[in-house]
Amino acid sequence: MHVPDGVLPIAVSAAGYATAGAATWYSLRKINQKENPQEDVPKASLLTAAFFVASWIHIPIPPTSAHLVLNGLLGAVLGYYAFPAILIGLFFQAVMFQHGGLATLGVNATIMGLPALLAYFIFRLRNIVGRDSRMWTGLFGSLAGASGIGVSVVIFSVLLITFIPAHIDAEVERASIWALSLSHVPLIIIESVFTALVVLFLHRVKPELLNG
Amino acid sequence: MKQPIQIPALSISHLSFSYPDKPDVLQDLSLDIRPGERVGLIGPNGAGKTTFFLLACGVLKPNAGTVELFGEPVTHGGFRPEIGMVFQNSDDQLFCPSVGDDVAFGPQNLRLSKAEVKARVEEALAMTGVSELVDRPPHHLSGGEKRMVSIAGVLAMRPRLMIYDEPNASLDSRSRRRLINFLQASEESLLIASHDLELILEVCDRVILMDEGRIVTDGASHRIMNDVALMEAHGLEKPHSLIPHAEMHHERPENGEKG
Amino acid sequence: MDWIDQYADVDSALHRWEPRHKLVGLMSLIFAFSFVQDLRLLPAMLAVTFILYLVSKLPLSYLLTRLRAPGFFLLLVAVWLPFVSGSTILLRIGPIALRQEGWRELLLLVAKFISILTTGTLLFGTASFLSMIKATRALGLPPILADMTLLSYRYLHEIGGDLKTMVTAMGMRGFRRRRLNGRTLGVLASLVGSILVRSYEQSERVYKAMVLRGYGRSSRSRGEFQSCPRDTAALGGVLLTAIGFVVGEVILRKLGG
Repeated sequence: MHVPDGVLPIAVSAAGYATAGAATWYSLRKINQKENPQEDVPKASLLTAAFFVASWIHIPIPPTSAHLVLNGLLGAVLGYYAFPAILIGLFFQAVMFQHGGLATLGVNATIMGLPALLAYFIFRLRNIVGRDSRMWTGLFGSLAGASGIGVSVVIFSVLLITFIPAHIDAEVERASIWALSLSHVPLIIIESVFTALVVLFLHRVKPELLNG
Repeated sequence: MKQPIQIPALSISHLSFSYPDKPDVLQDLSLDIRPGERVGLIGPNGAGKTTFFLLACGVLKPNAGTVELFGEPVTHGGFRPEIGMVFQNSDDQLFCPSVGDDVAFGPQNLRLSKAEVKARVEEALAMTGVSELVDRPPHHLSGGEKRMVSIAGVLAMRPRLMIYDEPNASLDSRSRRRLINFLQASEESLLIASHDLELILEVCDRVILMDEGRIVTDGASHRIMNDVALMEAHGLEKPHSLIPHAEMHHERPENGEKG
Repeated sequence: MDWIDQYADVDSALHRWEPRHKLVGLMSLIFAFSFVQDLRLLPAMLAVTFILYLVSKLPLSYLLTRLRAPGFFLLLVAVWLPFVSGSTILLRIGPIALRQEGWRELLLLVAKFISILTTGTLLFGTASFLSMIKATRALGLPPILADMTLLSYRYLHEIGGDLKTMVTAMGMRGFRRRRLNGRTLGVLASLVGSILVRSYEQSERVYKAMVLRGYGRSSRSRGEFQSCPRDTAALGGVLLTAIGFVVGEVILRKLGG
């Protein structure tokens, strides 16, 4: 789900930084409105590290294996901290782990971070129907997981197809976007299920992680 | 040592505390610690030692009772640099990316000047013998080094009362001996919780035995730890060095008792 | 994990460049490279990058390991461009046609990718990671973000180590994740959940330790960085180069490329 450096025109990279900046500003504002934002900083930070580490786990997806993105889960657990967390995670990846992505940091953060916030809002709806229920928790967990990666895939596909090949005609473009998005459907399903499973684990072991 | 009437370093009066899911973690605790004293806190796991420490520092708020530090009441959430606590797990306490930054954390929050902060850091690192580690990241340290660095981080605030929660958990023999020597050379008042009863015997003259949130007994370390029935009743064993030996191989210089 | 700052204590002009200036200068260069669309600027771009890398005295092997993984992904995305994009045919072999526009796009992509990634490597490979974070903080990054980055960085290793231990323990009890089925997913979900819970609980203890040493009492931005005229001169030089590329691109576009 990462766009590598050099691939997108500067306008898009700059726009990516702009949207990431706006989303960060919005998230920080919401964070500062809470009662004790300082207290949440260690929690959010260690969970950011934990999510980053968790994303290294290989899930067998025939014929090979893949790393999960888990931005839906991140949104459900971290709430408004999800966007800064993703920004930081991407920064670590760009700088420490040979992934590149400094110029496209903003774009990638937008691709993964905005859907994470969406996943948070969706997961929060659980409170309306009753957050003690296992069934609703699992259901909203899977919805959060699906929306997180699903929206990411769409944005990613659109950006990639639209901006890389400059001379492809519109019909081929549209078809390619569809093809790229659809090829990710198995991943979306797996992430959705996986998110639900983790959410149910947390619900049983440490529910306050889901209620923050 | 002559003790004129002094303000106690720590004065606990009828302290009680419950967690939401665990009632009566501490029940009606009262004790005083005089300046310069070295007190050991012993007892089985779950006795409430760590909770007691967090209450003494003002991190937790008691359900009942009062805590006074050097005569001033301790308020929940207040900052009292006169008391410093070394946590059981050094990793919980070393949260900065380099040793130097971590030791500087406390002094910076005391709003000292840059020069003063630097001086405090150097002083604390020298006292704990880890000056050469100043630029190291914490995850590149051994268990013993982490322990001494976390002590340095607390010492940099120049506390008058130091609390140690299981200070030699996961230390090897050499690090343990280094820690004991360090504790013996300390000038602050000490309150040490440990399962290592030999360490307590070497460092502390006074021992408090805690179990199930209450103080069972409080007195001279040898007297209490020699009481086999008492120790075993609370899940503890009499330290090896106090067992009468045919061949003497322990020193007990302070009170002449030979083991 | 190969650390980005494993060569941070080499001695070179780039290593000695003060972090804040370096951050502004090299990031500007990265954005300038992003702006380039004209093939005629590619040699200059690659030359500038190459010269900077020489100055840094970093080993070439280091750069190659860093380029490998993202480079692979890039090729995956872009290698089909010359066959699909554009209408001017350069070469035709049977049904397969090599198109000029697509070929140009591929060249552009690859050159820009190499230049940007190399510059990024220079930026973060010639000073300790910690000092670069502090530089961003000194340049105005919101304190919460800076604090979070530093704390996450600090505990990344612990948590990573915990994960490794847990995976080893699982393996020793016979867990094999070859098949994608409910059980595998369930076990891996528990693994992720455990890491999250343990980190959460540790964070509560870390918070207590921070509060005990006065966390939240002062805004801890201190003047940690000092610069000398050489730093500013170097920044000026690099900024001029960056501007040069932007201006060059604009002119070439006006002239019709």
